[in-house]
Formats: sequence, structure tokens, C-alpha cells
Amino acid sequence: MNGFFAPARQTALHRANPALKLPLFIVLFILTMLTHTIDGSFYLACVFVLLLFMASGYPLWKTALLISGFALAFASASLTMVLFGRGSEIWWSWGPIVISQESFYRGLHLGFRSIAFGCQGLLFVLTTSSTGLFYALMQRFKLNPKYAYSFMASIRLLPMTLEELRIRRDALAIRGTGGSTRSRALLRLPERYALPLLAQSIRRAQRTAAAMEVKRFDADRRRTYYYSSPITSADWLVLLLLALAVTAAICLAQELPVFRLGDMRTGL
Amino acid sequence: MGTKAAKSAERRRGLTLTDVLVTVVLSLVLGVVYHVWAAVSDVAGLLFVQSNELVYGMWFAASTLAFLLIRKPGVALIAEIAAAHLEIAFGSAYGVQLLLYSVVQGLAAELIFAAFRYKNASATVAGLAGVAAAAASLLADIYYGYVAEYATWVIVLKYSLRAISSFVIAGYLMYGLAKLLERAGVAQSLRPVERKEYDALDR
Repeated sequence: MNGFFAPARQTALHRANPALKLPLFIVLFILTMLTHTIDGSFYLACVFVLLLFMASGYPLWKTALLISGFALAFASASLTMVLFGRGSEIWWSWGPIVISQESFYRGLHLGFRSIAFGCQGLLFVLTTSSTGLFYALMQRFKLNPKYAYSFMASIRLLPMTLEELRIRRDALAIRGTGGSTRSRALLRLPERYALPLLAQSIRRAQRTAAAMEVKRFDADRRRTYYYSSPITSADWLVLLLLALAVTAAICLAQELPVFRLGDMRTGL
Repeated sequence: MGTKAAKSAERRRGLTLTDVLVTVVLSLVLGVVYHVWAAVSDVAGLLFVQSNELVYGMWFAASTLAFLLIRKPGVALIAEIAAAHLEIAFGSAYGVQLLLYSVVQGLAAELIFAAFRYKNASATVAGLAGVAAAAASLLADIYYGYVAEYATWVIVLKYSLRAISSFVIAGYLMYGLAKLLERAGVAQSLRPVERKEYDALDR
């Protein structure tokens, strides 16, 4: 998580309280999911791409690199619908593939929506640390500490699992059993990899949990916290920013429609 | 001694920090498998239309494996959320939506285990939980991806393949893995301790 993903500057989104940011982004997700016009999804995608460039705190080239990955998301979200969607005004058909006007625009709409979802998701994960999120959830939403500390501890245990995976692969290679690509070797994959990795991880988790219980990590809510998680002016700024972004998308879709099509679920 | 042990059994019946941490770590290991599985899914997708659904059941495996090992209410849901949390922690753009999907799918699996009062940890019940999670993902897909607007044969093909794959992978494959872990001697200490086992100590 360090290196590439270290932001160049802190924005209001970084300073905002994650426990308030999470519900805000869930509301954004639901709003985007309830957008059924292609103009709406197109402008939502545009606005959130713009917001990602402005407010994620990353240099332009890094943001551009991250966004380029959405081309694939766009294709995978729209392609099945374009090729196999229902529709009456048929443009082209070949065997089971039927491209109609309705399915084509519905596919584009899904593509724009997936870009909007992706940008919102990135905006959240790039500006939120896992630790910050769980401390905020414990303090603001009274999340039971045993869940919060388990999730935080597990992230620290993960590198050990990855290291074990590497060792396991090397060990099998040295014994001359790892690289075989015969189908019977494929069937023994769970026994060769999943079993030892899971067994080690479970035992380590039990040991760690025993130590954490002794240190009262699962004690109830009357406790102190290493990080405080206050509500500041940054939270209001983020609320305002996101509300403005959504309003801008809705207004643009009303005033400057590009496609001028109706609800995407039922014909056009 | 008897009352003290019984009280201790009472306290340990709910989810303890150990249960939660083991569940979360288990899901993270499967989360690592998921990253490999995404490549398997891409290759499987080349066979025929929607053929990547053949391996889809793996995405529900965390919840059934967690239940087969720990056998307490709530672990299936936590396992699903933990697998989604891995994506958020490592900066996946689709983390927030995976989180919402995981809640829906985890609750569906949980419902099946609850229907058997958390007593039945057979491969078939795990398979049913996988199918329930697949059904929940269909509901989410209808809102998220408009799958109801696909041609009818695509919908039937896609979701029957998904249901079958969930039954086999989340059910039977995970049951086999749980049995292997049992033989390796790590599963026994995870189970909730029954009252009669404490009573046996007093005798």
C-alpha cells in the first residue's frame, strides 16, 4: 500500500471521517444504481472522473493510469448486454448474437454506470485507510471492537500468508512436483496449496487471537482509543462536494442531453 | 466446577474474538485464491457463451468453508464481508459495491444455515447455502446489471450454470477441504464446545 498509493497531497476527502464517508458513498452507489437514463449515467461518469482528478490527491498521470483500467470495465459491463440483450429494432444478427438498438444503448448505459461506480469506489478507497475506517466505525457507530481489531489484524497477517505461498511453490518446485500441468496435478491443487496455507493461517490466527484476548482487545465499548475520530469541517465540505457533483450531473442531463433516450429498462 | 464450566460454555457460545479472527483470516486466504481464480475464470470464459459461470461458485466459498469449520451463527456473513474488505484494503475500484454484494450473499447463505438451526454441516447444506448466495447475486444483478433484459435463454443458461457451480464448489469442494483440514488436526479446536462435553469432564 505504500509507494505508488501514497497520495501527493491531502484533500478534504482524506481528512473527512471515514465513518461518515462510508454511508455517503453507499448513498452515492444507490443513487447511481437508480439512474436509469443514459444521459444521467453519462454525466455521472463524467462528473466523477473529473472529481477523481481533482480530489483524490494524486498526480494527474497516476489518476489517468488508474482510470485507463476502466476501459476494460466498460467493455465487460456493456458487451454481454449489447450482444445478447432484448430489443425489437434489430440492427444486426448472427446466430445467437442479436444486436438491437435497445440493447446497444442499454449496453452503453451499463458501461457508463460501471465507470461512475468505479470512480466513486476509487475515490473512496484511495482516500481512506483501513485502520482509520475501523477506528471511526468503533467510535461513531459503536462497532464491537472484536470485529474491528480482527479485521485490522488480518491485514497484518496477510503478508505472511503470501510469503508462505511463495515458499510452498518453491518447495514443490525443488521436489519436482509443483510445475506439472497434467490434469491430475490440477486436481491435487487444493491438497498441495490450499490445505497447508489454510492450516498454517488458521493456527496463526488462533495464536494471535489468544494473545489479543488476553490483552483485552475484545473488551466492551467503555474503552479508550489510540486514534481519535472526530467530526470536523472536512466532513461538511465532503458532503457539500458530493451533493454538488450529483446535482451537477442531474442538471447537465436535464439541460444538455446527449442521447435523448428514455428509461433504459423498458425500450426507448 | 460444573457451574463454572457451564458459565464459561455460555460465554463462549457467541462469537469470540478467536472465531472472528479465524473467519476473517480464512476469507483472506481465499481472497488470495480469488485473485488466481479470476484468471481461471477468464480462461473458462473462452469455452462458450457465459461459460465463466462454470467456476463462479468459488466466489461464495469463503462463507461455506467458514461455517463448515466454525459452525456458529454469523460466520458466513463475516466471511463474505472479509473477502470484500480485502478488495477495499488493496484499492480495488469496485470495493464498495463488492461490500454491498457480499452482505446480500452472506445473508442468503446465513439463512440456509439458520434453517437447519446451525446444526447440519453436511456437504449438501453447504451446497444449498452456495445456491442461495447465487440466487441473492441474481437479485443484486437485476438491479445492478439489468440482467432481466437479457434474452431469456442467456438468463437461464447463466444462472443455472452459476447455481450448479455454486452447489459443487461452495458445497462439495469446500466440504472436502474442511475434511482435509480436519484430518490435518486444525478443525477440532474451532468448533463450539457442547454442554455435554463439559459434563463429561465432571464425570
